Amino acid sequence: MKMLEGLIERFPGRETQIEMLHNLLGDDAAADAIFVHGGPSVGKTSIVKAFLEEKKFKHAVANLIECYSTKILLETILNELTSHRIDPTDPQPVAKCDNLMDFLNNLSNFQLKRAVIVLDKAEQLRNMDFNLLPSFLRLRELSGIPSISVILISEIAFQKFNIKGNVVDPVKLPFPQYSKEEIIAILAMDFDGCSKLLQEHYDDALEVDVNFYLNYLNVFLSTFYRACRDLCELRYMARINFVKYCEPIHRKDCSAADSMALWRHIAPTLKSSLEVLYLRFSGQSGALGAQALELPFYAKYLLIAAYLASYNPAKDDKRLFMKHHGKKTKTMKDVKAKSKVSEQLSTQLGPKPFSFDRLLAIFYAILDDKVGFNNNLLVQVSSLVELQLLTSLSDNYNLDGQKYKCTVNFEFIQTISKMVGFNIRKYLSDFSHI
Amino acid sequence: MESTVSVSKGVFVFKNGLQPNKQKGRGRKKKIPTGTGNIYRDEMWFQTYTELWEVLESKIKELNSDMFSSILSNLLNFIDGSYCKPVTEIPAGALLTGINMPDHAVQFETLKSSINEKISPHVAHLSSQDCPSLKNLVENMINQFINEDIDYDLDEENVKSTKVKIKKSQCSFTLLQSWYEDLYNNKVDNVLVVILPDFESFKENVLQDFIQIASYYVNKLPFVLVFGIATSLSALHKALPYHVSSKINIQVFNSQPSITYLNKIIENVLFSNDCPFYLGGKLFALFTDIFLFYDFSVTGFIQNFKFAMLEHFSTGNAKALCITHGFSEVLKNFSKEDFENVRMLHSFRRFVEAESPKNQIELLTDDKYFQKAIKKELNKLIYYMNNLVVLLECLNILTADLPKAPLGKTFREIYCVAVSKKLSETVEFKEAFQLLSFQSKDELLTKIDSVLNLLKNNIEIYTEENIVDDLKTFIEELNNLSNDQVEEVQEDLDCLNIEGTMQRAQLKQKLFQQAKSQNKPMNAYEKFRSKVVEYFEHIFEEYLKVPTDFTFHEIFFYNDISIQNHIIGSHRAAIHTALNDPQSYLDCSCCGISNDAVILSSMPDICIAYKLHLEYGKMINLYDWLQAFLSILDPVHADDDNEKREVDPQLQARFTQSVAEMEFLGFVKSSKRKTDHVSRLTWGG
Repeated sequence: MKMLEGLIERFPGRETQIEMLHNLLGDDAAADAIFVHGGPSVGKTSIVKAFLEEKKFKHAVANLIECYSTKILLETILNELTSHRIDPTDPQPVAKCDNLMDFLNNLSNFQLKRAVIVLDKAEQLRNMDFNLLPSFLRLRELSGIPSISVILISEIAFQKFNIKGNVVDPVKLPFPQYSKEEIIAILAMDFDGCSKLLQEHYDDALEVDVNFYLNYLNVFLSTFYRACRDLCELRYMARINFVKYCEPIHRKDCSAADSMALWRHIAPTLKSSLEVLYLRFSGQSGALGAQALELPFYAKYLLIAAYLASYNPAKDDKRLFMKHHGKKTKTMKDVKAKSKVSEQLSTQLGPKPFSFDRLLAIFYAILDDKVGFNNNLLVQVSSLVELQLLTSLSDNYNLDGQKYKCTVNFEFIQTISKMVGFNIRKYLSDFSHI
Repeated sequence: MESTVSVSKGVFVFKNGLQPNKQKGRGRKKKIPTGTGNIYRDEMWFQTYTELWEVLESKIKELNSDMFSSILSNLLNFIDGSYCKPVTEIPAGALLTGINMPDHAVQFETLKSSINEKISPHVAHLSSQDCPSLKNLVENMINQFINEDIDYDLDEENVKSTKVKIKKSQCSFTLLQSWYEDLYNNKVDNVLVVILPDFESFKENVLQDFIQIASYYVNKLPFVLVFGIATSLSALHKALPYHVSSKINIQVFNSQPSITYLNKIIENVLFSNDCPFYLGGKLFALFTDIFLFYDFSVTGFIQNFKFAMLEHFSTGNAKALCITHGFSEVLKNFSKEDFENVRMLHSFRRFVEAESPKNQIELLTDDKYFQKAIKKELNKLIYYMNNLVVLLECLNILTADLPKAPLGKTFREIYCVAVSKKLSETVEFKEAFQLLSFQSKDELLTKIDSVLNLLKNNIEIYTEENIVDDLKTFIEELNNLSNDQVEEVQEDLDCLNIEGTMQRAQLKQKLFQQAKSQNKPMNAYEKFRSKVVEYFEHIFEEYLKVPTDFTFHEIFFYNDISIQNHIIGSHRAAIHTALNDPQSYLDCSCCGISNDAVILSSMPDICIAYKLHLEYGKMINLYDWLQAFLSILDPVHADDDNEKREVDPQLQARFTQSVAEMEFLGFVKSSKRKTDHVSRLTWGG
């Protein structure tokens, strides 16, 4: 039990899970298969790993994203179980496994006693060989080794694996989200890192204690807890903002005890950093979006034409782009169209595919000056596809009737149109009747 | 012709020793290293061209490395310092390059080699074509890390014997890890740099998986990622969802926009004193338009410039005189034909006609006399060109920030106008100077100052007036004008005296007249300002002439807009011309046509079919088409009135073939909607 206490101390708020693990994989029990699931950064992998290391079990941890083929997965597991180290000059696995049968054979050859196989990011199993998941769940039965266990770690629930056929249900071990208090407790463990960061910025002049840091975390979480529960992200943000939080103390504007003044200082900073949550830019950040995009003049018009083609129905083209299109008779449908709710606006519904000919026709219709139809112009279309501003929907070898979709949003195209002095609303059937 | 042994059907090339036509191939050839049989190697113009191009090329390279150096050193610092502190996220540098990827290939190569030199021997350069899946990406990267490293050992022979090249299929992260541990004894030492130059072209899921794996190893393998992003940072967020983007720590590096790059190339290389070759206004405008409107590619611009240069030089040895100095050396080596070549220049005719009859004969017959005349005229041109560039730069300084910039904001815009027509006679020029005479004292002072600095740096300016001294006195005078004098406004407006009563219309008229005639008296500064502006106007009028005014301007200025067809490919127009007027390509005597509508039986079948199909609407009846086809090839039988006459099988086969060819070229498509019809796919011509 002593060992467990150490673990519980290292991982606050995870007492039940660690005890469960102990009960399932303890000295006298060995569950067949355990399914560990819970949201991102709730400590699944690290707790399982730490637990196995504490217990000194022989174990293999395989990240399924990294093991993109069955062969790599099985060989990695075997290598780790037998502590085989790959020699860089002659990279041979401990045993060659092309399929599951080889794996089982080799596994029984090694005469393992107590072994645990951990499959991280187990949701990838859904895209891998169909027999992997059922076999891993019944590995003990198949391999004939009485003390082998498998732990699957996943961010999604087991029901979502959609397995056909009879599968033994593994023991499920949920990892719930941390509560606010738990997050504070965990973030408080980062105090050393933060105070080091502080020293770097303010050259030792600043001495802060744990309580001060806890106060800061309270302030910090009051803003961030509602927006984000991801521990990694919170830790990252807490570190960045802590330096700014201490700035007034460093400037001797106020004392470390004056939490109200500190709060007034940090509140706007926190709010602005809430906006760049998850973006992870350090240093200077360039302008985002269309403003920063550098496109040649005709490429801009081609992009506008593509947007119009994507978001206008083809039947409106004549009305929108031709000077003498004749009179349009009003129908019941048009009257209804005017009372469209915003969900039905085609700009809200997402882009529709359009043909290359239509793109060029609209391009020539919206451009005032006469442009020669030449190769440089055509190359622009493929470079727009390359830049992922358009997507090509047909295969590359199909030269006839290429179809495209425009992937930029309305805000983006509005900025582009403004740059070339083009009124895009006039040519969108959603807005043209307004 | 010999027969082939192949059983399969196909097209076989028989080389019968045909040499490409010497005249036609001219100019279009790339520079071939001497010794490989370049037929132009000994020509004087080619030597001049090669020399000039080498100078320009080295200058461009220098400029490139200069421009990239600051961003490069920032990046290197970032990579170097990325693992100084313990990290929880993978450090990643996002290099915003601008949309033209081919232009940046060199930059990434330099980046790779300088990382190799200064920071770490482990650099992997992955392009999206090589990495369609995660497996390819990982194998490619690890292969580059492990196997390329071998090449750093000095003796390659030894390497092969001692180290086994690792197979790509064996490359995995576990291998990389043990390799790295072996190399550095379980310590984190040299970083592993992964460069992805075309971020947008990578598949999103491949990148996501890769970043997740790399973050798994973050404390064991020190990865640093460098993304080359062509569009904007939002591409990064589009490609990476938050559970991936939270695993990297991005530092942004902005590179300069390509327009700045182009302007620098133009101002520092193409219009430097070392380059005597100048593009005419039309061509220059064409090249900059291609750049601004189509591709933003500086490399493309330079290639276009090079092409124009080749076309210019290849017209004969007269162009060997396109140098900045040392004309006598070249003229000494001129042969009789070369002098004739110079005499063929258009501007020479005007020059001769202006001379006295005696001189005319000497110019036309005596090469020695002619040589002297050439030298004199060329020196005049050289003076002119030097002045032109410097003075245009001055003008640019003066007018670039005027409201609406009537003369354009950049040097290239002014240049375009200045070499096509006399600048001082244009409306824009007058407008600019009018605006200039509203400038405040401070603005004017800074402008004169920067003009003065520019002129001081270019001592090679040849003018009768000493502009530098004049400007100096201007600045002194301007400084002497105390502020009170500037402010001082003479308040001697004669009051408006309204005598008695008058009609409203009369009053209006009177006020209007008064406003019109009222010349606001100028204060001292205003007087001075108009003097300065007049002075500048005079200078520019005097020296900014049009190049066509000079004799032999063709030697330095190239303005043949017809090369447009070589620069901008226009495949549709080319196909149309070929099919509509085959003579233009075949050069045969039989197919000459007076207007487009004429169809001759001597034309190739596909041309006949094409020209006939132009007359139809959206749907073409195949039978009608065949009849029309027959009536051209076989007019005798066509007159027969019986409807169902026998069609010559040979003609029918020819027709079928040409329709198939048309379909292949994409002009028609068989239609399912109407039997025996094809639909037309193109319109206009």
